[in-house]
Amino acid sequence: MSLLNIKNLNVRFGDATATPVVDGLDLAVDKGEVLAIVGESGSGKSVTMMALMGLIEHPGIVTADALVFDGKDMLTLNARQRRKIVGKDMSMVFQDPMTALNPSYTVGFQIKEVLKQHLGLSGRAAHQRALELLQKVEIPGAAQRLDAYPHQLSGGMSQRVAIAMAIAGEPKLLIADEPTTALDVTIQAQIMDLLLALQKEQDMALVLITHDLAVVAETAQRVCVMYAGQAVEVGQVPGLFNVPAHPYSEALLAAIPEHSMGAARLSTLPGIVPGRYDRPSGCLLSPRCPYVQDKCRQQRPGLDPKAHSLARCFFPLNQEVA
Amino acid sequence: MSEIVLTARDLTRHYDVSRGLFKPHATVRALNGVSFELEAGKTLAVVGESGCGKSTLARALTLIEEPSSGSLKIAGQEVTGATKAQRKQLRKDVQMVFQSPYASLNPRQKVGDQLGEPLLINTSLSSAERREKVQAMMAQVGLRPEHYQRYPHMFSGGQRQRIALARAMMLQPKVLVADEPTSALDVSIQAQVLNLFMDLQQEFNTGYVFISHNLAVVRHVADTVLVMYLGRPAEMGPKEEIYNRPLHPYTQALLSATPTIHPDPSKPKIKIVGELPNPLNPPSGCAFHKRCPYATERCAAEVPELRLVDNRQVACHYAEQFVA
Repeated sequence: MSLLNIKNLNVRFGDATATPVVDGLDLAVDKGEVLAIVGESGSGKSVTMMALMGLIEHPGIVTADALVFDGKDMLTLNARQRRKIVGKDMSMVFQDPMTALNPSYTVGFQIKEVLKQHLGLSGRAAHQRALELLQKVEIPGAAQRLDAYPHQLSGGMSQRVAIAMAIAGEPKLLIADEPTTALDVTIQAQIMDLLLALQKEQDMALVLITHDLAVVAETAQRVCVMYAGQAVEVGQVPGLFNVPAHPYSEALLAAIPEHSMGAARLSTLPGIVPGRYDRPSGCLLSPRCPYVQDKCRQQRPGLDPKAHSLARCFFPLNQEVA
Repeated sequence: MSEIVLTARDLTRHYDVSRGLFKPHATVRALNGVSFELEAGKTLAVVGESGCGKSTLARALTLIEEPSSGSLKIAGQEVTGATKAQRKQLRKDVQMVFQSPYASLNPRQKVGDQLGEPLLINTSLSSAERREKVQAMMAQVGLRPEHYQRYPHMFSGGQRQRIALARAMMLQPKVLVADEPTSALDVSIQAQVLNLFMDLQQEFNTGYVFISHNLAVVRHVADTVLVMYLGRPAEMGPKEEIYNRPLHPYTQALLSATPTIHPDPSKPKIKIVGELPNPLNPPSGCAFHKRCPYATERCAAEVPELRLVDNRQVACHYAEQFVA
């Protein structure tokens, strides 16, 4: 039984006829697993996780056949019940550490707030635990930092504080939404190391949302590639990087400068991601796909098992079994 | 050897910062002793983390700010001490593309008018001639003729960056300074825009100063790489030398910290601890010594000079030891 089980998740904004932003997504995350969700802006990676946490507000509509976390159906919970889970058993680290923290309160106050809400700690016990958490996320001079305001911290330090708050309730699932995009590369390496160390130590599942394939290759065990709201390929790392089955995965990999080393031009996929009003009737990639055939323009493929991964394609690539 | 379009000698830019009514002013050495030459049709890439002086360098090169000292020559013409009229002439030869294509285009002006403005200000072409030139440039960067009448908000990020690039290229400058031009874009769009950069460079033989923190992108576009740390050059040399055998510990750490899609578990990552020091209060000696895994007492006491080692310039006391 997996920790998180998503079946046929749809998220729309507007009425029931609106084009789905997340379109029939199936995803399972096991205990202690590192899963990465990659895709370009607007592919639905963040909206998926927001739907899971109940953060989609009107006019957003969330429907799913199953949205089960740790044996609880997240769709039927009321707000009070959901608050007991979100932030404790399932928590999130956001992209921009500068806006994720409240500028009007000290770091210590904000961490203790989590401890009070979810663990019922107060006074000295909360202070002690907050200090331990700051030490755990390797903030130098943790005792003094408890009294610091967010503007006194650098981006890397703020992200460490945000991580400390997220792991305060010893979550079973930590969702990190582009946790290092706003940071410099040496700080990015430090933060990724920290997240992975915490993940191992606490045996929590980590869902890493990112657009950076290189970060995925270095950290994740499994990866889900999203395109225009659909999961187009789900597979193991490094398998998917070596033998991508879906043409979009292949194109994403090929567009990375590292891949065309020495070549004068980078390989590109022509055109842009289809918007809300120009969705093709067949496979969503069909107008841009270099391997497109008639069948692709007429029918929409399902996410089916292929030789090395699950892929949403009629004519998958790299199907030779070694 | 082709024409040298940009020469910088010991370029510095210091800012005076007030720290309060009764405290003495402090000086931030945002840019300290940067020298390089750029040939027509070549690309100099400047890499480093936030606060290393990359953007200050861009502002100095594009005459937005006057350098505090040092000399800067654009197409052989000295910039420091030039008259107002000369500077106006020089500005035609250096153009800039900014990081965010959302903030760098005027939201209230049509794309065609924005592209025509450099011509309106700097040439005496008639409006029909300007329009023709704008249409030609739009075709060159992959925009359709009907986009002439549209406003920036009607375009995606990648298309906006094409517009920004077209605007910079309208006067066919000798030097184009691009400050993180693709960091706001998705990978597949980034690849399209980078290709366009390379195509236009070939077409117009422009010298590029390409500022980026993404080492994978730099490896693709650069001829020469300049690595900066806290306002000072740490290492500068031909791309292949720097990537294949970095000699400065900071360059080594940067390259090692950059994630790759085919990680090699046998190669241990170099861990560097800590963060960039406060530029108001930089460490003594080598600015990197507090984070450097090889630092010695000498590094804390003595500022390393930039010197030639193994075909590139490097500012480290122990660079020779890394050659082997």
